Amino acid sequence: MKALVIDDSRVMRRIVGTILTDVGFEVIEAGDGQEALMRLEQHPDVRLCCIDWNMPVMNGYEFIVAARKRPEYRDITLMMVTTEGEQDQIVRALAAGAHEYVIKPFTADVIIDKLDYLGLIETGVSV
Amino acid sequence: MTATIDWAPVLDTDPLLQISQDLFATMIDAEPGHVHHWVGSRPELVDPRYTWVDVTDEQIVRVVIGTGRETGEAITRALLALPDDAEVTDEDFMDAVGEVANVVCGNVKSLVTHPGTLTIPVVAHAAPPLGDGTVLVDACLSWRGAPLTVALWLLP
Repeated sequence: MKALVIDDSRVMRRIVGTILTDVGFEVIEAGDGQEALMRLEQHPDVRLCCIDWNMPVMNGYEFIVAARKRPEYRDITLMMVTTEGEQDQIVRALAAGAHEYVIKPFTADVIIDKLDYLGLIETGVSV
Repeated sequence: MTATIDWAPVLDTDPLLQISQDLFATMIDAEPGHVHHWVGSRPELVDPRYTWVDVTDEQIVRVVIGTGRETGEAITRALLALPDDAEVTDEDFMDAVGEVANVVCGNVKSLVTHPGTLTIPVVAHAAPPLGDGTVLVDACLSWRGAPLTVALWLLP
């Protein structure tokens, strides 16, 4: 299964990407929402996007809105992974089409639990 | 209409300590117990570096983190899972310590339910211009014995 990690921080892309790789994902990266839309064109089989909110060019919220306008992306699970932890922001992201919301800082277990809840951990993968 | 922001949750060094402890325990040390209040007089930062993120709205709050280059390099190695003797590039350094500021600022913003927007982190050799700003809280912490300052400024 392919996952797209969208964050302007290479550090955060590495941390999230390592967690996803460890549970069996093939990971692709993008540094902002606009680059992420290009990556989705190149990799239409992406099943999961992990999205930072605060990014240059196109932020995570704008990416979600743009992705949700595209019917061909309706099966992609969108998970915000961000420092924006206020209730209003969470509600806004979920209303725009995000499925899950993780607040930084986080442990690997938090991400894995969310993936498990979303049914994205493949059977037989050791977590 | 101007939003009223209740600063009370961050007008003390303990919330900054708690946020920093959570950040370092989960993403840098992989265990708790390495971040504390600095005990004794505040030390000079050796070869200092500063990183800051603003929350912009009608009121601008700037979260400023200061540390020595060597400590910043140790944080960078931990975040990037580099060996202890690995050379740290400026690009990696700025990315890593900038992300620390981003996480701290985001969590501060959540505590005060500030309606504003986070800026992209800046990293520099000198402390940022604070003009006629007012310091809300200024904490000196210790990470594995090295000083780490975390300050909140209210900018005019």
